[in-house]
Amino acid sequence: MTGAASRPATGVPATMTEDLLRPLLETSWKFYALVIVLFGVVLLGVGSFAYQVNNGIGVWGLNWPVFWAFDITNFVFWIGISHAGTLISAILRLVNAGWRRPVTRCAEVITAFALMIGAMFPIVHLGRPWLFFWLMPYPTERQIWPNFRSPLVWDFFAISTYLTGSLLFLYLPTIPDFALVRDRTTGFRSRVYGALALGWRGTTKQWHRLETAMQIMAIAIIPVAVSVHTIVSFDFSMAIVPMWHSTIFGPYFVAGAIFSGIAALIIAMAALRKFLHLEAYLHPVHFENLGKLLLMMSLLWGYFVFAERLTTWYGNESAEMSVFWTTQSGAFAPLYWTMVVCNFVAPLCILSFRKLRTVTGCVIASCGVVVGMWLERFLIIVPTLSHKYLSYSWGSYRPRMPEILLLVSTFGAMGLLYTLFSKFVPIISIWELKVGEQPELSQPQETPDEAATLWRTHP
Amino acid sequence: MVACHAENNIPTVGPAEAARSRAMHWLRVERYWEGEFPDVRLKFRPVLCQQCEAAPCEPVCPTYASHHTEDGLNAQVYNRCIGTRYCANACSYNVRFFNFFNPIWDKPLHLQLNPDVSVREVGVMEKCTFCVQRIKATTQLAKSENREMKDGELKPACAQSCPATAIVFGDLNDPESQASRLSRSARGEKLLEDLGTRPNVTYLKSQASA
Amino acid sequence: MASSTAVYGLYAEPSAAQRACTALRRAGVPEKEITVISAEPFEAFEFSQRDHSLLLFRLAAVGGLLGFLGSVLLVTGTSRAWPINVGGMPIVAWWPYLVIIFEMTMLSAILTTVVSLLVTARLPSRAKSLYDPEVSDGKILVGVPIAADRTSEVIRRALDAGGALAVKTAEFQS
Repeated sequence: MTGAASRPATGVPATMTEDLLRPLLETSWKFYALVIVLFGVVLLGVGSFAYQVNNGIGVWGLNWPVFWAFDITNFVFWIGISHAGTLISAILRLVNAGWRRPVTRCAEVITAFALMIGAMFPIVHLGRPWLFFWLMPYPTERQIWPNFRSPLVWDFFAISTYLTGSLLFLYLPTIPDFALVRDRTTGFRSRVYGALALGWRGTTKQWHRLETAMQIMAIAIIPVAVSVHTIVSFDFSMAIVPMWHSTIFGPYFVAGAIFSGIAALIIAMAALRKFLHLEAYLHPVHFENLGKLLLMMSLLWGYFVFAERLTTWYGNESAEMSVFWTTQSGAFAPLYWTMVVCNFVAPLCILSFRKLRTVTGCVIASCGVVVGMWLERFLIIVPTLSHKYLSYSWGSYRPRMPEILLLVSTFGAMGLLYTLFSKFVPIISIWELKVGEQPELSQPQETPDEAATLWRTHP
Repeated sequence: MVACHAENNIPTVGPAEAARSRAMHWLRVERYWEGEFPDVRLKFRPVLCQQCEAAPCEPVCPTYASHHTEDGLNAQVYNRCIGTRYCANACSYNVRFFNFFNPIWDKPLHLQLNPDVSVREVGVMEKCTFCVQRIKATTQLAKSENREMKDGELKPACAQSCPATAIVFGDLNDPESQASRLSRSARGEKLLEDLGTRPNVTYLKSQASA
Repeated sequence: MASSTAVYGLYAEPSAAQRACTALRRAGVPEKEITVISAEPFEAFEFSQRDHSLLLFRLAAVGGLLGFLGSVLLVTGTSRAWPINVGGMPIVAWWPYLVIIFEMTMLSAILTTVVSLLVTARLPSRAKSLYDPEVSDGKILVGVPIAADRTSEVIRRALDAGGALAVKTAEFQS
């Protein structure tokens, strides 16, 4: 029926459409259990936020002079995770890497949801969060506009642009798959998917327009992604405090973002492979390729850290050195060295050897990277804020329960959104996978002279 | 410090919050010990908002709550502040403070609040304003009497209450004012001057630099 | 919208669909009257080669340009409307404003691309167009509307030449 008999033997089974639609059409009790547990975790975070709005930021561990800690760490962390999709989907699409096909939607989904979670934190961290909309440029009776010189306003624009772009980048190639589900279901479900499919039919013209649009989006989203995390890094580098006012922050953060994004992608793919039984579609070679990318990013991260640290140490400027030493050997040293092991030592040890670049190996390395990259954001923010120029006003920081709950709930939110998405939308792009499986072209049936009279003649 | 609290309705946060390093002393007196026992010397340095000409706290505020007035003051507009706390992070002098909770004045201390100064709510940043309420009041008084302000007529709470007259306030635009003359003294230096913030506060050392 | 009848065939393989298209062209059917619908794009085949257009690229560029101009107006206009000194920076501070201008340019280009896609691909479409749900099973549909100089017999013969799995007739609105 699907003409599978004439397709060449590849890694994709003939029942591809059925396999990839099964999560949508069949639900087990495990799904409901998982959703309930994750929802509970998310509620913890919502409750924590409500408690904070009701009582004040004082319920957190922030103080004078450490005015940002977990809140902005989480923000930068989740925005960083969101760079997974752009790399895999956009960059690999532009260089025609065929192995990206089963992975592309998993990655774009991480981007969309990680961005949404990350974008909550500029609102959550405000002293008066009910006024967050003052960051938006709109004419108001107060006749004042946002301060466009402020990196926080740049954040608003950058994240809005990236979120819009990523959601559209996720949605557009899903349209043909929504049409597929529309045709395979009946009743209310068919109508909902039909609405989402926007009446897609699959004419040659529609395919061309869609693929052209995807091409343009891929070209556009890459500079946006680079700019977003650069702008997030500008939240720090624009301030003239020790070890923040560094020109390396832009590229450093972007590299770190792609690094953490790939790690998150590997974990998500491994989970999908296990829970949705997608072993036939997410092959060990995909993990191997991503593992190699992760190794490369780990080396790149190490390079940036070395460049930053060497410059600081060599310059020996007293204010910077006090921050430097507090991370290398002072109060923050345990966290710092854990970060180095998680981000550099462990990935190098695991991913350098092909024998260890298995699915399990890659997942272990990735979990370490996720932890390490969170620590990296924390260690950029808190040591500097606690050790500025005037030693009388140095301070310290300890997290408190509401902040920890908020952090945990973000992971719950990511899990919940991802689980729900994979239930309602095919997590692997079916039409793109089919294109990857297309056989060689057979010979044309007409002579070149006849072809000139038959095709693309006007009228 | 107490005068500043009293004049500007700055709350005392209580022992628990102070232990969490949330005390809000717009003006603080830093104590530094120099030397080894028994040749120990104690130095005091009052630190307040330096009202920088190129204040790093101003461009980073997304809502223009922190901005520079024509008088040359760094103003904090409480109503515009949404509490991002970026200004506090950008300030190299750590002179900005945040209302972590809604301030409480146990009765009858609420009767002591200065009616010329707003009481800030939770989530808003605040800092030394050079007693802008006194500046405005004296300016208006002088204008209504059709005269210029006299040098020394206007004193912020800290300068007014210091028994050693260690703090001198005046109009830096008037080259004859005492503050202006002292700021040009050979003993004068600015705090963290090489950061380029151009602070308007000058510290006079006990001896001129060699 | 006018209602017409079309005759279409369903094919298991893109090469079969291509044979049908060739046969239809040899029978004199104009290229733009032949509709090919599939569940995946077949870029290598001749029937996919028309309808390429650079329009979306150009529209995206125009959208970006409009975003650029709009954002320049926004940042300069609002700064000058109420000039506030922050940190001694100029009222119209180009270095920071470049960030805003870049973001709004890209956002505008992206939104223009999506809107252009929807418009040129005629999505969302509520009209009853030529379609068969069997396309979702992997079949390829090749259809031609019946016209005065094109009887259903001529079309059927050409469609059969490709080896159609089924030949059907349908009403649709153009």
